Amino acid sequence: MKKILFIAMSVCALFTACKIDEPDKDLHRVIFDPGNLKFLSTSLNTVKETSSALYGNQEALKSLQENHQLKPDSEFKLVTWKYHENPQYIGGTINGELVSVETLKTDKNGNISYQLKTDSKTENNPNNKEERIQYIMSYNPVTRP
Amino acid sequence: MDTVKKKKSPIAVAFLVILGIFGGLQLFNQPLEGKVTTKQIEAPREVISILENSCFNCHSNQQNLSWYDKIAPVSWTVNKDVERAREVLNFSEYDASPAEHKGNMYAILNMMQSGKMPLHNYTLFHPSAKITQQDIDVIKKYTLSLASANPVKKEEKNIHRNIPLTENSTPAKFPVSPNGVKYTDDYKNWKVISMSTLFDNSVRVIYGNNIAVKAIETENFHPWPDGSMVVKSVWKQEKLAGGEVRAGEFVNAQFMVKDSKKHTDTEGWGFAKFSGKDLHPTGKTADFAKESCIACHRQLAEKTGYLFDVPMKVNTERLIKNLQK
Repeated sequence: MKKILFIAMSVCALFTACKIDEPDKDLHRVIFDPGNLKFLSTSLNTVKETSSALYGNQEALKSLQENHQLKPDSEFKLVTWKYHENPQYIGGTINGELVSVETLKTDKNGNISYQLKTDSKTENNPNNKEERIQYIMSYNPVTRP
Repeated sequence: MDTVKKKKSPIAVAFLVILGIFGGLQLFNQPLEGKVTTKQIEAPREVISILENSCFNCHSNQQNLSWYDKIAPVSWTVNKDVERAREVLNFSEYDASPAEHKGNMYAILNMMQSGKMPLHNYTLFHPSAKITQQDIDVIKKYTLSLASANPVKKEEKNIHRNIPLTENSTPAKFPVSPNGVKYTDDYKNWKVISMSTLFDNSVRVIYGNNIAVKAIETENFHPWPDGSMVVKSVWKQEKLAGGEVRAGEFVNAQFMVKDSKKHTDTEGWGFAKFSGKDLHPTGKTADFAKESCIACHRQLAEKTGYLFDVPMKVNTERLIKNLQK
């Protein structure tokens, strides 16, 4: 009887020991949805280890193409991610965690609004607002034949 | 007359039959094609020594095969492996530019680090060819030392190469790769699925069509559904102050199109690369990707359905909610 009990317990222990841990089960792969905006440009920063995608509407594209001057009815979104070494290839990097989404808009009269969204806050008038607007306006649209 | 037949042992009969079959097989045993060394790979002695010990038996014209490798039916597999290996990378016909050499070394490092090369069924019978962590460290140190190699203007063979843009050439119509994969600029309206860089100082943005995007979002890419299309734009890096890097000159657009019935030799993926402003397609024959692209994708990116740049699974629900909405 003792033997049977021992065997039964061992089998139970074996099953509990085989519980599969899924460390990433609450994590997701994210594809940013820019709505009706189109991809315009990209950058990375090797000091901050971030990479960014700049999206915009037609007016935003024109704003960058024509002397980097903000035109009325423009809308930009600058989406920034942390990058990591590509787990499948030494010598390559790939974007990982979403860090921030910055939105720059002008209305039909050319009034400018800016918003910064991070994981912890949403700010409409951060101290470096002007600097960030200038930064976004410094991009050139990428060339794709 | 006493004609007592001696009963033959069944073991002896079986042995003779096996021996006969084995002998017969040797009639179909073609020796491996002998080739001369035209240009051997150049690298520090310790690197060459590792390659000679673990890779040369297949990836060169200097085979030092064991006797059992030369006997059919083992020789059939060995010869096939050697021919295939020589097609992908041959250290005895190594006419590589510095940039190509760098690309090859990264491929070698990644293959070794991931344990994909040397092949497991090869080291099983050739244990001395096994790679140690020390060997990988030597290869890694050398490969990383190549990072500052000067970019080469010469046309390169590496699939991830940089090709100088010719200014006055625009495509008259959209080109087609030799394997039938057609260029389309629809990708300019697709979602960006990821962004990456590579050792060749390039910036890369990867777009996916709706099928591919849905496959990623629902974690349904084992295998990728037919009709998935992924395009990667590659630019040279333009370096600014403070570590800022922008996309500079356009290099190429790389396509992967999933059609499991059509591209049976390349895990269902049709590969294509269109380079320069004229978007000239890579490859001379329909099966060019069999000898280049798929070799790395198959060995190193199996976990993500043979795509290297699937976005990482690292974002929490809360983060997505806060930032995406």
